[in-house]
Amino acid sequence: MSLFSSSISLRKGISITDEEFVQLRDFIYEKSGIFVDQKRKYLFESRFRKRLQELGLNSFGDYHKFLKFDSSRKEEMIRLFEMITTNETSFYRDTKQLEAFTDKVLSPLVADIRKQGKKDLNIWSAGCSSGEEPYTLAILLFELLGMDAARWNIRINANDISMAMINKAREGVYNDYAMKTTPEAIKKKYFINEAGGLRIKPEVAKLVDFRLMNLNDPLALKRIPRSHIVFCRNVIIYFDEDMKKRVINAFYDNLMPGGYLLLGHSESLHKITKAFKPEFHPGTIAYKKE
Amino acid sequence: MRIDELKSGMILSADLKTRDGRMLLPGGLELDDRHIRMLARAGIEEVDVAPPLMELDAEMVRAVEGYVRDFYLYVNPDYAPMLELFRISLDRTAMAVASGWKLPSPETRRAQTVEHLDDLFLKDMGGPEDIVKHETDLASFPDMYFRIREVLDSPNVSADRLAKVVSTDVGLSAKLLKLVNSPFYGFTSSIDSISRAVALVGGQELSSLALGVSTISYFKDIPHELVSMEQFWRHSISCGIFARLLAEQQSGLQAERLFVAGLLHDVGRLIMFKKIPYASREAMLFARENSIPLNEAELEVIGFSHTDVSRYLLESWKFPQGLSSIINHHHDPMTFPDPLGPAIINVADNMANAVGISEGGMYVMPGIAEQAWETLGLDVNFIRDAVTAHDEQIDQIQRAFF
Repeated sequence: MSLFSSSISLRKGISITDEEFVQLRDFIYEKSGIFVDQKRKYLFESRFRKRLQELGLNSFGDYHKFLKFDSSRKEEMIRLFEMITTNETSFYRDTKQLEAFTDKVLSPLVADIRKQGKKDLNIWSAGCSSGEEPYTLAILLFELLGMDAARWNIRINANDISMAMINKAREGVYNDYAMKTTPEAIKKKYFINEAGGLRIKPEVAKLVDFRLMNLNDPLALKRIPRSHIVFCRNVIIYFDEDMKKRVINAFYDNLMPGGYLLLGHSESLHKITKAFKPEFHPGTIAYKKE
Repeated sequence: MRIDELKSGMILSADLKTRDGRMLLPGGLELDDRHIRMLARAGIEEVDVAPPLMELDAEMVRAVEGYVRDFYLYVNPDYAPMLELFRISLDRTAMAVASGWKLPSPETRRAQTVEHLDDLFLKDMGGPEDIVKHETDLASFPDMYFRIREVLDSPNVSADRLAKVVSTDVGLSAKLLKLVNSPFYGFTSSIDSISRAVALVGGQELSSLALGVSTISYFKDIPHELVSMEQFWRHSISCGIFARLLAEQQSGLQAERLFVAGLLHDVGRLIMFKKIPYASREAMLFARENSIPLNEAELEVIGFSHTDVSRYLLESWKFPQGLSSIINHHHDPMTFPDPLGPAIINVADNMANAVGISEGGMYVMPGIAEQAWETLGLDVNFIRDAVTAHDEQIDQIQRAFF
């Protein structure tokens, strides 16, 4: 007794040959630095199948050609990047790290800048997904600077490879899941209740500049203004060793002397570079450019 | 339900037997008028019928299919044993939904937040050996098992001496008795003493079971935010039962040992939950977000997996080498020189995952190592029979442990 046809199959459409897989994988790696392991071949196949059907293509080889030669290849690349990236994020993600960051990195840094008689602060949020991380950083700054915040010149440069995520970030409206680890007081202070969820207040939003960017584009990386702090969490985990090194070197070049790089909980510079000086705090390692 | 309330179309929920044990009708049977008249003639007064099933509309059936499909995205869709497991998961999930189970939403399927929990070390600042050392420095493994081994290894071992040792631990004895009285063993009369259990089941076999029971009782303080312990052990017991069923098809294997290997195949994960809860949760999120199996996510997010941890843990607990190897290689069975045992757990783990989907299992199918399945030399049809046998045993065995 089954509600399903006895011939129901797991396969839902055309399959990818090993050759096509390698072709596409290399193409994606070349364009984005994201490396898709052979073990994920079937996953890859099912993720792209729908797109192939929409385009009326009969094989993954044809899709590869489409990406290379079709007149709409640029738009297709944007879609492709959306299909290969994931977006697990939330406000105040990894609270322990953020506490350590505020106390041990941000406060001393702000004091230092003040001492120099300046009020400029640049932060780069690389791989910002739908905006939760850069907005969280903006809120942390408001909390730290208080009334003085308005007199500071703060710029948070946030970018992501997915246009859909950049649009969502600019929209700035979030559901409960994005808020799950956000303190109530913060919600009240920095968000406006709307029918569609919570909207980030304009004075916070205006600190953040969202742009579409590919971390595999060396020229684009160079256009980011020099930063005091780089946040790049849960991004390099998708890169292979070589790409990790290139991206981390770009962060190093971008940072001003005395600046800090912060990575995700599951990432470290171990095996990547010794250029930074690691500072160990409960909940995080802050990598300092000396 | 009383016999005069029965209607044709109702499903028997268990085998129906006469008082002297003669089978009348098998569980799962859809009753018709002829059956009901036959039961009345046989003098049966009451029978157990399954709760009425909800009719599933086409949209619901599609939702079930979509839900189950998500768990199979990672595996080879053209591989026959996987396809068979997929169909089993579909049928079971449809049945669960028809009985009132709600398909979990994507949000409830995500792990809960553990922002307040601290890891022993940050990424790349420690390895599986540090986790295990921290654990074994704090607590020692219950030594009952080793006392049993001592008796078994000594000359002139007698059932009585063994029974005496086991009986000093009342909790262990009670659990072992419940186990040997479960349908797993199929003894017709009830076994009420450890010495009788030793005589019927065998000293070696009972000592394997004692090791399994002791290990389970060791784990009490696992952070509940990460995983429901009930679900964790249900999956483990399922895996143990499937391992035993698979082992019975092979010659020269001690089935109890495979049962225990299945029962304990994920113990490394429990130690990780205790020592690196935040990283463990990150791995779970990563697995869900990328639709990849948990062991692969562990390797990427944490840098080592639960079998790396079990390797150190079981060694420091002085587990029998054969048993440890089976557990430690269940995700890479063919790399072990004697792959049969690990291959069984590899397949059993997949079977347990497949039946767990309709009970709220959260993680995608890890995939059967194709050579592992070939090593077992079984027909694909065996899978469905094994699932039926599993279903007859699981609840009672779970009750024996908890």
